[in-house]
Amino acid sequence: MAKSAIKLQGIARDFFDGKTLRRVLKETDIEIFTEEMTIIAGSSGSGKTTLLTMMGLVLKPSAGKIFIDGQEVTDCSEDELATVRMKKFGFVFQQAALIPALSVLENILISSIIQGGSFAPSLRDRALQMLDEFGLRNYSQAQPQQLSAGQQQRVAVVRALINNPVLLLCDEPTSALDAESSTIVLDTLKRLSHDRDRGVVLVTHDPRVFPYADRLIKIEDGTVISDTRSHFEEGDRE
Amino acid sequence: MHSLTARRILLHDRSTTAGSILGVVAIIFLVGQQLSVLFGLFNYMSVLVDHSGADIWICSKNTDNINAIGTLPTRYVDRIIGLPEVEWAEPLISTGGSVKRPDGKYQPVQVVGLPRPRLTGGPWKFYQGSLNILLDYDGVTLDRLDLPNLGNPRQYDIMEIGGKRVRVNGITQSIRGFQGTLVFTNLQKAREIANLSRSRCSNILVKVKPSISIQSVVTLLKAVLPQAEAIPTAELSVNTRRYYMINTGIGGSFGFSTIIGALVGIVIITLTMYTNVLNRQKDFAVLRALGARKKDILIIVLYQSLYIAITGILLGFLLLALFLSGTRDTRLPSYMVIWVPPLHALFTILLCFGGSMLAMRKATSIDPASAFR
Repeated sequence: MAKSAIKLQGIARDFFDGKTLRRVLKETDIEIFTEEMTIIAGSSGSGKTTLLTMMGLVLKPSAGKIFIDGQEVTDCSEDELATVRMKKFGFVFQQAALIPALSVLENILISSIIQGGSFAPSLRDRALQMLDEFGLRNYSQAQPQQLSAGQQQRVAVVRALINNPVLLLCDEPTSALDAESSTIVLDTLKRLSHDRDRGVVLVTHDPRVFPYADRLIKIEDGTVISDTRSHFEEGDRE
Repeated sequence: MHSLTARRILLHDRSTTAGSILGVVAIIFLVGQQLSVLFGLFNYMSVLVDHSGADIWICSKNTDNINAIGTLPTRYVDRIIGLPEVEWAEPLISTGGSVKRPDGKYQPVQVVGLPRPRLTGGPWKFYQGSLNILLDYDGVTLDRLDLPNLGNPRQYDIMEIGGKRVRVNGITQSIRGFQGTLVFTNLQKAREIANLSRSRCSNILVKVKPSISIQSVVTLLKAVLPQAEAIPTAELSVNTRRYYMINTGIGGSFGFSTIIGALVGIVIITLTMYTNVLNRQKDFAVLRALGARKKDILIIVLYQSLYIAITGILLGFLLLALFLSGTRDTRLPSYMVIWVPPLHALFTILLCFGGSMLAMRKATSIDPASAFR
């Protein structure tokens, strides 16, 4: 049964643009659940990435509260938030953002031991198994630059999954990919979103991604203008 | 994880890493080279004192530098030998002279006359000949490094020093004084060259009997010879070096050069490590977003600094060793005291950490939200 992964209450965010303080995300209440794919859609500058980064505890809200497992985390220290991120969330960035100095396998494992420690054999085995599931086992020792953009993004998905996160947060994961690679990545994310005790939040401006959503949140000028589940408005289809 | 990530990033960014290592090599080599020349000069300054074999030097009153002394009555030797604490006491003459070269030019030298037959304080390293050649009345030694300045004489050649006939009985190896060429001979020949009477000498060397406190004998000698100065060998050596360091400006000059060498290194390290962090901003932002704390990033940069320091130190000391090896037994004074390299390495590691402070500051201030831009 789906449960609450994260709850944002009265969340808002201000940015100082050099002259004035501008509220780029207006007060918003959102609760994200597991076992569904939530797509946050909006044009460039609408505030969707700001919302995603606040969900991911990367950006502190200027107002409002954030709850995880019923506990407020808004005022936790930076170190505490980093630990929550490591344990609870997986991130898929716009352009994979793999560390070029590390091998594919090391890029995946680093998510688990980023606060210190060494690579346990069981962790290594799990990473290799996941690479195998994504058809990338043979590339485990390769450098990220040796992979195609689509392959890199799949590695990024494996990296995001290695800690068995409650929530996968994806920031325009297909914007830099061709159609075929996009489909592979989106199909994968859709499948993962239906795993037990896991949800996926995906931010995009591309309407072609909307059909993958179990829940579609539209945002414009920092305000959520619609929040619908399982069906779409006529204008959202291609 | 931190050390692995640090190593991988360094190996990935080869050019900036090489630059940082070059900075460390510069510190080790430039500072080490300056120090080695300084220590080499120190050796020249007090060479006669350090190799005298004596425990105490008797000098004219108020002597603060072995190369600037008056004369003493030779009869003081008898007074000193009479003390039960003294094993032996020998007079020594140190005087300036001019060698006449085959081309008719003159070359200033420092002539050191040693008492026969003990030849105390005599040359300790020979290229040709041995100490006993100074038993010959006319016998002198010249150093191999100074032969070109003296017209390239060979062993057993006859020469003139101060208008007096001498025979080059031996060639020493790398024995030089701070004031240039050292010519060793016997006491009598030195007295002839210096035109010094038999009743005078430059210094008296004193050896204390085993298990007797040197300081107690110094106190005794000061009481016995109130018109002279009794100085322990080690103290006279230090005083001589201090005199030259302060009065000739050598200390300031080498100190300034050493500081410049260190500064050059720090600047190179600072710039290259900062560049490395700038190049990796996105990576550090991603690591922060994935859950790295500020201290995790700091530890990575510290590890980078440590790896760069260790690699640079090893390469720098290798280069320095080659320099020291190449300049041994040459006219360039170079000598490294054994306790200096470990201190120098430690100092360099600290400089390296200092140089990477800017990089650390930058790395830990990277906003994880920038991973999403």
